[in-house]
Amino acid sequence: MREMDNADRLEAKGLARAKIRAKRRRVQTIRRRTLRGSLALFAAVWAVVFAQLVSGNDPALSSIPHPSHRPVASTGGEPAREPAPEAEPEEEAEPTLEAEPLPEEEFAPEAEPEVVPEEEFAPEPEVEVEPEPEPIVTASS
Amino acid sequence: MIAAGAVSAGPHIFWITSRAAGIAALVLSSLAVCAGLLIGSRGGVLRGFGGDTKALHEALSLATLVAIAVHGLALLGDHFLHPSIFEISIPFTTAYRTFWTGIGIAAGWALAALGLSYYARSWVGQSRWRSLHRFTALFWLLGIVHSLGSGTDAGQPWFLLTLAITAAPALVLLAGRLARPPAQPSTSR
Repeated sequence: MREMDNADRLEAKGLARAKIRAKRRRVQTIRRRTLRGSLALFAAVWAVVFAQLVSGNDPALSSIPHPSHRPVASTGGEPAREPAPEAEPEEEAEPTLEAEPLPEEEFAPEAEPEVVPEEEFAPEPEVEVEPEPEPIVTASS
Repeated sequence: MIAAGAVSAGPHIFWITSRAAGIAALVLSSLAVCAGLLIGSRGGVLRGFGGDTKALHEALSLATLVAIAVHGLALLGDHFLHPSIFEISIPFTTAYRTFWTGIGIAAGWALAALGLSYYARSWVGQSRWRSLHRFTALFWLLGIVHSLGSGTDAGQPWFLLTLAITAAPALVLLAGRLARPPAQPSTSR
């Protein structure tokens, strides 16, 4: 009887170990599949977003600006996240044309609009610009 | 049109990576919520996936947390948005869509805390951990709100379809769980 009990116990232990091993294997399989699935999902979404961007259909770039791009694109020297090359000059030109003309028109209507350094002399040109031509005229004459 | 709108992807690699990781996190978290809700439901077994829903839930949750980390950290390499480590880690500090992004950051931290607390449940206490863990669904919902509020692809049909396919089952299960009267404490761990 006792030997029978021991045999049963050993058999039960063996079964329990086998079950535990099987469960571990299942868990490992689930983890591996989840890892692979997650990587595949990430790669698939990455490819979709990439294709969207490369084809020019990116939602942030096809319409006007992703809000995050505008300020940095205008300050940074790197290419902006614009869909078309035509869009870049327009957007970059806006801030320069909008921001600078006002002071230029006020200070020096005769002065050339694009030259930025002139703004530095803007406070004084009214006084100094006039005397400068005189010596030139006298020298040439 | 396509050729004219084509953009070199080189400078946007980190941005693309962040977007892809965010969407992956959304899908994975939805699946994790589904699996988590199935654990508590009758049967609690997904027969087609090896029969261990708890292992699946755990693996999906960890994958979600990794995806959330990639989603945030990838932005550090983006030269255009150029956020600081504080802006991506502290809610409501970034200038970019402050509210929606802040919600996402808060939800990300909460999901990490609630998810990883599983490994500290002996210290937290089983019943306390269980009741805290229920809030995971709330932060998952906040993550969805974040994606719709500040996601670049939020208006894209493919994104909305993906979201619907993955989140709808979880929402149905969640509604079913909320509608069900509180069950007697289960014997399973």
